[in-house]
Amino acid sequence: MFKDITLGQFFPGDSFVHRLDPRTKICLSLIFIVLVFLANSILGFALLGGFILLVAIITKIPLKFMIRGLKTIMFFIVLTAFFNLFLSTGTVIWQWRFLKITDRGLELALTMIARLVLLIFGTSILTLTTSPIALTDGIEALLRPFKKIKLPVHELAMMMTIALRFIPTLIDETDKIIKAQTARGTDFESGNLIRRAKALIPILIPLFISSFRRADDLALAMECRCYNGGENRTRMKVLEMKAIDFVGWGVTLALGVIVIILNYVRI
Amino acid sequence: MIKLENVTYTYSEGGPFEMTAVDNVNLTINKDELVGLIGHTGSGKSTLIQMMNGLIKPTSGRVFVDGKELHNKKTKMSDIRFKVGLVMQYPEYQLFEETVYKDIAFGPANMDLPDFEIKRRVEFACDAVGLKRELLEKSPFDLSGGQKRRATIAGVIAMQPEVLILDEPTAGLDPSGRDEILYRIRDMHRRAGMAVVLVSHSMEDIANMADRIVVMNKGKVALDGKPAEIFGRREELESFGLSVPQVTSITHKLREKGYELPKGIHTVSEAVYEIMKLKKGAGDNV
Repeated sequence: MFKDITLGQFFPGDSFVHRLDPRTKICLSLIFIVLVFLANSILGFALLGGFILLVAIITKIPLKFMIRGLKTIMFFIVLTAFFNLFLSTGTVIWQWRFLKITDRGLELALTMIARLVLLIFGTSILTLTTSPIALTDGIEALLRPFKKIKLPVHELAMMMTIALRFIPTLIDETDKIIKAQTARGTDFESGNLIRRAKALIPILIPLFISSFRRADDLALAMECRCYNGGENRTRMKVLEMKAIDFVGWGVTLALGVIVIILNYVRI
Repeated sequence: MIKLENVTYTYSEGGPFEMTAVDNVNLTINKDELVGLIGHTGSGKSTLIQMMNGLIKPTSGRVFVDGKELHNKKTKMSDIRFKVGLVMQYPEYQLFEETVYKDIAFGPANMDLPDFEIKRRVEFACDAVGLKRELLEKSPFDLSGGQKRRATIAGVIAMQPEVLILDEPTAGLDPSGRDEILYRIRDMHRRAGMAVVLVSHSMEDIANMADRIVVMNKGKVALDGKPAEIFGRREELESFGLSVPQVTSITHKLREKGYELPKGIHTVSEAVYEIMKLKKGAGDNV
């Protein structure tokens, strides 16, 4: 029953975007997010929208996967638009009883919608085209300078990798435990809230116990292979900036410059 | 007791990883039977038994327990679970209570039985699997591996189901623990009249225990019959990636050398009996 959940939404492929270095992708995504907030002209938004659409097409990932990300925050988008639309001050352009729409409100609402949609699209493309492992590798590499201030960068990245690695295992385990306890007559579906909460105990306790056991086993297995943190550790996959990464940087920076210029050009 | 009608189960139907685990199976488990279910890894045994108590719903086909159709609105699923007890593979993870007693009592307590009846059943189950009663007040997490296994099996037996399904109950246990658990299950089957379905990889265990053997291959029931019959078809079993008990292969080799032993001998005592008979018949010349 839990098998259908997809976690981390990585969508394997071999497109230009897929092949970019994870560091490049993380940085470019961040730049894109900053641009989304810097832009304040219609043309600027149009340009950003066109750009992200183009990137989405290059990835060859079906558009419905990207729209799925939007669905989850649809409520949030509608709510923000609603408040901006009706609760802003400015010249009234439409009124019905106590509800009124002002020109400023309309503008704010549209900008907000555009920003949120672009934001979700941009980050979706990052997570859809980068495997979780590559993502943590990239984060580790990017955070390396913080080692100087004693931030345990490698350890944090390792924790993330391990956590990601164990999500499917834990899902399988939960599935198994639910089945075993159901076979012993636990009823998860009926009864009041307290009864239902109580029905979770036979699931949660075995799950915790097995997680601790797994953690212990894994720690032991890692120690047996002489793992002792990030000191002097070499990697199997060395991250390398290639020509396509520079192309990516170039295109995005150019886009940034244009968007910022457009902010000052009045049409 | 349990009847499967044209049952098919497909994992992630319609998806890229579609896989049919059980393919159009018709099977009936009768009262008072001890059925051995064997098959190569991935032949659909575990999926099949999970459909017998309604843990998973067949993609197509129907399942009946005691004449009642499963996954039908009129049938209460919890009643089915109490009638068909299922012990899953490596079931130790299902232990969660503070004491072994409470854990074994978890199933019966879900049946809303009075306390004295729960106590009676816990003690019955405890004896049935050979778990010492003084362990009942211990934490289940302090038990040894073999004791944990017994406690989990007891937890299902305590519900006193009409059919007990065991998915490799002896996997990962030492030989003496294995023999004892199996012996006790057979003993309980005979005395309490509980139907038993035993899934196992060990041909020896199945040969010693079962009245009837069902062989699964690639999601289908390939063979179904008495042990002597099934183990007499050595080549077929081998083509399914299975083997015959050691004693069967020895008697087979003897047959090849010209000794007239019957086909499908599957227990040591049977083999001894037949060889002795042969020896007497040949006038001590063998």
